[in-house]
Amino acid sequence: MNKPKNDLLQGTLALLVLKTLARGPLHGYGITLHIQMVSKDFLRVEEGSLYPALHRMEQDGWISADWGTTENNRRARYYRLTSTGQKQLAEEEKNWERLTQAVAQVLRFA
Amino acid sequence: MSFIARLKGLLRKEQLDRELDDELRSHLEMRAADNLAVGMSSEAARIDAQKRFGNTTLLKEDTRAVDIIGWLDECARDFRYALRMLQRSPGFTAVAVLTLALGIGANTAIFSVVDAILLRPLPYPEPERLVRVWESSIKHDSPRNVVNPLNFLDWHDHAQSFESMAAISGLMTNLSSQGRPIAVQGMQVTPEFFSTLRVPPLLGRTFIAEDGIPGHERVVILSYDLWQRQYGAEPKIIGAKIDVDSVPYTLIGVMPRDFSYPKFKSEVWTPLPLTRSEEWKGGRFLTVVARLKPGVSLSKAQQDMLRVANFTVQARPDNNKGWSANVFPMLEDVTRGVRRPLWVLLASVGFLLLIACANVANLLLMRGTGRLRELAVRSALGAPRSRIVRQLFVESLLLTLAGMAAGLVFAQVGLRSLLALIPQNAPLPRSEPIAIDARVLLFTFLASLFTAVVFGLVPALRLSRVDLQNALKQGTLRGGVGGHQTLRRSFVVAEVALALLLSVGAGLMLRSFARLISVDPGFSPEHLLTMHIWTSPARYHDNLKRSQYFDRVLAEIRGTPGVQAAGSTHFLPLTERISGSCFSFADQPAPSPADSPSAQFLIISSGYFQTMGIALIRGRDFDHRDRFNSLPVAIVNHAFVDRYYSGQNALGKQLRVCWDIEKPVEIVGVVADARQAQLQDAPKPTIFLSNSQAPMYFATLVVRASGDPIQIARSTEEAIHRVDPDQAVSDIQTMETVFSDSVSSPRFQAILLLVFAGLAVALAMIGVYGIVSYSISQRTNELGIRIALGARAADVVRLVLREAFVLAAIALLLGLAGSIALSRVLQSLLFEVTPTDPVTLASVCFLVLAVTALAAVLPARRATRIDPLVALRYE
Repeated sequence: MNKPKNDLLQGTLALLVLKTLARGPLHGYGITLHIQMVSKDFLRVEEGSLYPALHRMEQDGWISADWGTTENNRRARYYRLTSTGQKQLAEEEKNWERLTQAVAQVLRFA
Repeated sequence: MSFIARLKGLLRKEQLDRELDDELRSHLEMRAADNLAVGMSSEAARIDAQKRFGNTTLLKEDTRAVDIIGWLDECARDFRYALRMLQRSPGFTAVAVLTLALGIGANTAIFSVVDAILLRPLPYPEPERLVRVWESSIKHDSPRNVVNPLNFLDWHDHAQSFESMAAISGLMTNLSSQGRPIAVQGMQVTPEFFSTLRVPPLLGRTFIAEDGIPGHERVVILSYDLWQRQYGAEPKIIGAKIDVDSVPYTLIGVMPRDFSYPKFKSEVWTPLPLTRSEEWKGGRFLTVVARLKPGVSLSKAQQDMLRVANFTVQARPDNNKGWSANVFPMLEDVTRGVRRPLWVLLASVGFLLLIACANVANLLLMRGTGRLRELAVRSALGAPRSRIVRQLFVESLLLTLAGMAAGLVFAQVGLRSLLALIPQNAPLPRSEPIAIDARVLLFTFLASLFTAVVFGLVPALRLSRVDLQNALKQGTLRGGVGGHQTLRRSFVVAEVALALLLSVGAGLMLRSFARLISVDPGFSPEHLLTMHIWTSPARYHDNLKRSQYFDRVLAEIRGTPGVQAAGSTHFLPLTERISGSCFSFADQPAPSPADSPSAQFLIISSGYFQTMGIALIRGRDFDHRDRFNSLPVAIVNHAFVDRYYSGQNALGKQLRVCWDIEKPVEIVGVVADARQAQLQDAPKPTIFLSNSQAPMYFATLVVRASGDPIQIARSTEEAIHRVDPDQAVSDIQTMETVFSDSVSSPRFQAILLLVFAGLAVALAMIGVYGIVSYSISQRTNELGIRIALGARAADVVRLVLREAFVLAAIALLLGLAGSIALSRVLQSLLFEVTPTDPVTLASVCFLVLAVTALAAVLPARRATRIDPLVALRYE
């Protein structure tokens, strides 16, 4: 199994996590699965960096965490978007769009 | 939720770790389960899950670091916030810190004393095996009696429970070697003394068995201090010759600096040669220290000693019938006199700390109610309850830390003054230094932590439990925090009652002390210098020689410039020393000694009365006519004449005295009464004999100076040395110092009680202030309505004060009842003041009432400034 090279850019992980959580509360493993699935296996979350990122976002107050049970009756820590997180998501989405547009323009006119 | 669980929540690190472990494990399990679902083997599924995860430890470290930094960050935020909140109300902060500082400071100071005296092991190796052994007699009600030498030898040879056993006898010693003679406290010890304690010497050696055999070379060991002071710390001193009481001794050792033996301030040790000779059969004068064999229990040693004591009774029934032996652990034995008072003292300051905690808790609650809206807003903004509790607790912690810092300063100052005040005549039983060291600091820190938890956590939890949503809506708080109003009120009542009780005690002691020091001692202590000389028995064994020696010393002193008069007495007044003996009237048949009257005896020189300023009422003083072999004479005091010669002329009467004088003595003079043993003892019938006719081995010289008595100390000592250069002089002090030392015990008690009363009054004030403030904050709306309806400031104040006065009145009654109940305890400590002295009771009641009123008026004035509009807005 060859590891895809497209590691997430610094900062984009937060955006993806926030976007994922915007759909509803989810645990860490669920987040990796979701990102992988939606990106059709193109984006793969480095599991080693997911948890530090999650905990950092928790402290920044973007997300909050609680213990819950999965559909398979496992205990897991569920993260949920806070109102601060929602604002942050909107901000980061805007940034991302500006960035990609800028990059696209550069590519078009280079 | 339990209290403990909450505390743990505050220390979250462990919990964070566990949560992280759980979270990562659940991730791995889910991945492995999915792998299984797509058909991997269970082993492969697990390995794949782990591989994808990468380095779990590293991951955990990273995540944990994020968590901890975040936690610390939160704490720092809380601290900054708390600091801001405290700065915003400096009055509250100052009162709270001061209250805590008083409590913590008092505890630290007293604990440092308790620790140094009761808790620290004695400064010898394996101190728990050291015991002291005493003779005991039920008949004499003496469980700890000094020991007879022959009995000691029997114990030493026959007891089986001890590794070693040594006997001690203390004495005053004149020491001289090349330089000036000095008088030092010495100990005569059996050779095993140092090996029992297991203390090696700093230089040379300690005693060996041969040193205790009479006729062997005489040897002596010096203390570190004496070696430094007199011998310039010369290391080659071992082997030198030193005169001890005019007999040459060889110096064999110097003890280390910190070596000491409880209750003996010894600087010289010489061997105590004990033999089984008849001369030792009678008296009891030794103290005995022993080291238990390893594994031997105290009760076993006691049994063993009972057996050996039984043996001594059979061997010498005349001397030992009714006597047995007791074994006590050395530390307990040494500290037995102060053990209970010290624990009581520590318990009292502990109680004081609790009161301080309660007060600060009250203040916090009072302030908390004012802050409910702030807390409600924070809660609405998403702060969980634990966060609010922590926030409030951090504030308490800050207060405690400040209180601890200030408390340590109080403790340092307090301890120094306490030690300086300890009466000379009742010194502490151990001589190791008392200071605020690491152990005491640890205690202070723990006590402070305990304090913070007690006063900080309770209000924090109570406040955070209030329905904050409701509080936000209403802006007020009804009974929500109140809960235990009654409990809090009873607490304040108890505080005020206690303050009253202690103040009554302090007031009585002060009045008693004032009475005591205004007692006319019957002599004038101003301009008097006193000093002690002890003649060497080797030199002045002969009575005539000794009496001539004292005469020459006095004559030499009288000739010294600046000296107005000089005399001597064998016991100085106000040093709690008296000698009594029997006498009978020479013109009546001699009664048996048991039926003879007894009087106080003092052996004095001519000129003693004149020097002391004691008036001669009739007849004459002793003078040159009263020689060693001339007709024996006596002088009696006024109390003696009153008692035995009332209405008669005592001059010329003859007395038989039970003293060293065979012939009857003739009364040649009558003097005014003076206080002898202590200031508070009324003068007793006294017979004065002349030192020329009944010379003692020792004398206290009294010298009246024309100016400052200290100025003539040097020249007086030189005068004594002109007569005998080897005569040591000790205890050189002014009579005013003697006078002041003699009342140091009552002074100490009065000051200690006064300090306690002051602390109690201060705390009671803070308590009253807290409860009145709190009650105002609870009644803001009600008061607002009253003001809106036209109540005047005076009405509001009256309303608020009524509660305080009801509490104060109850407290006053309780306090008075308490002080009457305790009056019997105080009675024995008081001098010419009854424990129910109405002046003291009335003035203390007035004082406590005034202080309570003051503490209540401050917040009450604030109540009058309530703006009815603001107060009612949230209704």
